[in-house]
Amino acid sequence: MGLRNFFDRIEPYFVKGGKYEKLFPVYEMVESFIYTPKTVTTAAPHARSYVDMKRIMTYVVIATIPCILIGLYNVGFQVNSAIATYGASGWRAWIIEALGIGFNPANPFANFMHGLLYFLPIYITTLVVGGIWEVLFATVRGHEVNEGFLVTSMLFALILPPSAPLWQVALGISFGVVIGKEVFGGTGKNFLNPALTGRAFLYFAYPAQMSGDTIWTPVDGFSGATALSVGSSDGYLQLAAHGMTWFDSFIGIIQGSIGETSTLACMIGLAFLLITKIANWHLVVGCLGGMIAFSTLLNLIGSDTNPMFAMPWYWHLVVGGYAFGLVFMVTEPVSASHTNLGRYIYGALIGFMVVMIRVINPAFPEGMMLAILFGNVFAPLIDYFVVQANIKRRAKRNA
Amino acid sequence: MAQTKRSMLIDPLVDNNPITLQVLGICSALAVTSSLQVALVMSIAVTLVTGFSSMFISMLRNHIPGAIRIIVQMVIIASLVIVVDQVLKAYAYEISKTLSVFVGLIITNCIVMGRAEAFAMKNPPVASFIDGVGNGLGYGLILMLVGFIRELFGAGSLFGITVLPTVNNDGWYVPNGMLLLPPSAFFIIGLLIWAFRTWKPEQVEEREYKIQVVDAH
Amino acid sequence: MPDDNGHQGDRPNKGFVRRFLDLPADSVPKTVFVAVTLCLVASMVVSATAVSLRPIQDVNKLRDKQINILQVAGVYTPGENIPEAFNAFEPHVLDLATGEFTTEFDPATFDDLAAADDPELSRALTDDPAGIGRQSNFRTIYLLRKEDKSIDKIILPVHGYGLWSTLYGFVALEANGNDIFGLQFYQHAETPGLGAEVDNPRWKALWSGKKLTDDNGDLLITVAKTAPPAGKEYHVDALAGATLTSVGVDNLVRFWMGESGYGPFLANVKAGAI
Repeated sequence: MGLRNFFDRIEPYFVKGGKYEKLFPVYEMVESFIYTPKTVTTAAPHARSYVDMKRIMTYVVIATIPCILIGLYNVGFQVNSAIATYGASGWRAWIIEALGIGFNPANPFANFMHGLLYFLPIYITTLVVGGIWEVLFATVRGHEVNEGFLVTSMLFALILPPSAPLWQVALGISFGVVIGKEVFGGTGKNFLNPALTGRAFLYFAYPAQMSGDTIWTPVDGFSGATALSVGSSDGYLQLAAHGMTWFDSFIGIIQGSIGETSTLACMIGLAFLLITKIANWHLVVGCLGGMIAFSTLLNLIGSDTNPMFAMPWYWHLVVGGYAFGLVFMVTEPVSASHTNLGRYIYGALIGFMVVMIRVINPAFPEGMMLAILFGNVFAPLIDYFVVQANIKRRAKRNA
Repeated sequence: MAQTKRSMLIDPLVDNNPITLQVLGICSALAVTSSLQVALVMSIAVTLVTGFSSMFISMLRNHIPGAIRIIVQMVIIASLVIVVDQVLKAYAYEISKTLSVFVGLIITNCIVMGRAEAFAMKNPPVASFIDGVGNGLGYGLILMLVGFIRELFGAGSLFGITVLPTVNNDGWYVPNGMLLLPPSAFFIIGLLIWAFRTWKPEQVEEREYKIQVVDAH
Repeated sequence: MPDDNGHQGDRPNKGFVRRFLDLPADSVPKTVFVAVTLCLVASMVVSATAVSLRPIQDVNKLRDKQINILQVAGVYTPGENIPEAFNAFEPHVLDLATGEFTTEFDPATFDDLAAADDPELSRALTDDPAGIGRQSNFRTIYLLRKEDKSIDKIILPVHGYGLWSTLYGFVALEANGNDIFGLQFYQHAETPGLGAEVDNPRWKALWSGKKLTDDNGDLLITVAKTAPPAGKEYHVDALAGATLTSVGVDNLVRFWMGESGYGPFLANVKAGAI
């Protein structure tokens, strides 16, 4: 237990009155990352059992692993496939050649390594820049650096397109952490999902780098539309003609952001989160129900001019960021509703909005990000009405 | 008068700024700050309207019946706004095209009504005029600050003159499109309020609630 | 005028107005008096300004339109005398259905957009890709002639819906009625920095030299992200990040250059009938 002794020895320097008391959050961050923290939470998300905040956050990061693996493979696969036609260039190609891995899209290891070369710079930038903000606020405000940031940074990196310029990544995570979380007082007090706040900022600030057909596979000259973009211009029946079957989409071998193409990987993550009781199943049921109900309704209404009306729910499930958002964002405890009835309503609202935005709003092909942020904003209000209704019902019963 | 005329003019710039402290006139601050030129014209227009409407209302203040005072104020403000709008259309057509409906919306700008109701109804014309101009300038100051940030980082220019050459014109700067959308002004104004209150902590309002911390040890 | 205190002592023979001013502000007669007087004064001020400035405003509007026509035809030099330069342009009212000029209206006073609301002069569109609702049967177009009186440029007004607003503009064609010289919008409210890039000179320059139709007369011009199979001379790159504005421009250009727009007129031009 040399490490424990080391922490115990240096702790006096960092506690109140010590030499480096300003840097306590940094000490606390490192210490509690390695050992169980000694304190308990005072604000949501509350730990109600042996599961503490750190374990929640660690489990969520573990749950993203399938998404990361398939995502890395898919990015590499798409890039290597495009390179076969358009040729390789840039420092990544140089490294791959130097290591003698090659660009064969049939070689899973080559795909995986090439994907890693796209993912790692983005993830490291996110961690470093976001981490600086976290520590800065923790130091000034005197609160602790929270493991929640590990989740935020992982999710943020996974919902970016692989071609995202690193300076934009840095700006996006800065906005997400500062405006989405810290200005409201830090983890537990934010009502918006910080990763999505950062992503939305980038989406509106730099649409040319965050949407379109050329960004999903960063090879010069290559252009590949996402399933949603094809669906909204030609109808989902044409997806097969673009080389995307439902099964491809389910496995995740399609154009899209790094980690959100694979519905299968998201489902594995969801199963893990549900079994460990980290994710609340009410939210998942609500969100699935809202999406299925509204997309089915639109199927029945139909439209001559808008092919998206005809897209059935099982396609909505596997395209765009729906599955990823459902598993990792809708279930996020801080920004969701806190009452069980509220969770159904909150989930259903997001499920409804995502179909609404995808199908009826022509300006945004993808709706999951906006739908969840919209739901976040309404979550406290939903809780308020649920609680008020409960109070009224009880008052009547006891009258 | 407890306030000197000088302080009436200076106070609303920072210490009692209509946007950052009173949080009034936000809607137009969102709409007209995507370029500095438009923000400047809007600031001048609002300053003139608040100044003169306060003065006229103050002149009439002893004759304005309480029952219809808001309507009387509105009529005076609206007439002034229409005059400003017409003058702009005649002598600054290009700018009036970019301002479009927002000049007309000065009528609904809470600052104008706010100063009429809070100050001009109780004070003599000259003081009211200065107070109105001061508040107009305070509003203008924030508009210009927001406009500066939005135009510089959103379009890479200031007053239409290129400062950061953008990618669309073979430059290196990738403009931030969100700054050109109205909601970005919310963030900028919010950050400005944060900055002002860090600089002048007395502007921070008292909390309406307190989160109770239960010590579990 | 009353002073700051609102009353000026009692005089034996007070005038009518004075008597009202001395009434308590909240009395009914005073309330009515203040309301009526204020409305009268305010309406006089407002109408006086509006009427006296109207001529200048109208000139501004006309000047603005003329500048845009000069610009789209590529003959605008800043600082020149605009009405004089504009004299080179020959306005005509065009009957869209026949594609021939009509002398029924005076081109100097004919208002296309007002005509679009007049049931006698317009029709409701059933097939309406440009999203304009009603279309006037007549439009004012402009011809720019060379020194030898042959046609240099044809300026055609177009409008249609983008993302947030109707875009109003002009298309300038070469004398053959098929090659585009330029496109310019003079009024729109698209998103600054995205859709409003329709005003970007670099994007506008893309239009120059494009062709409307192929040799068979099929309308091929399109605004799209990628070039259509027909080839680059019929394709203008869509605006980055402004899909719907681009779709709107595509629709409105194709609508106005098609059969329901200037199609018949352009056929006449090609046949040498104009």
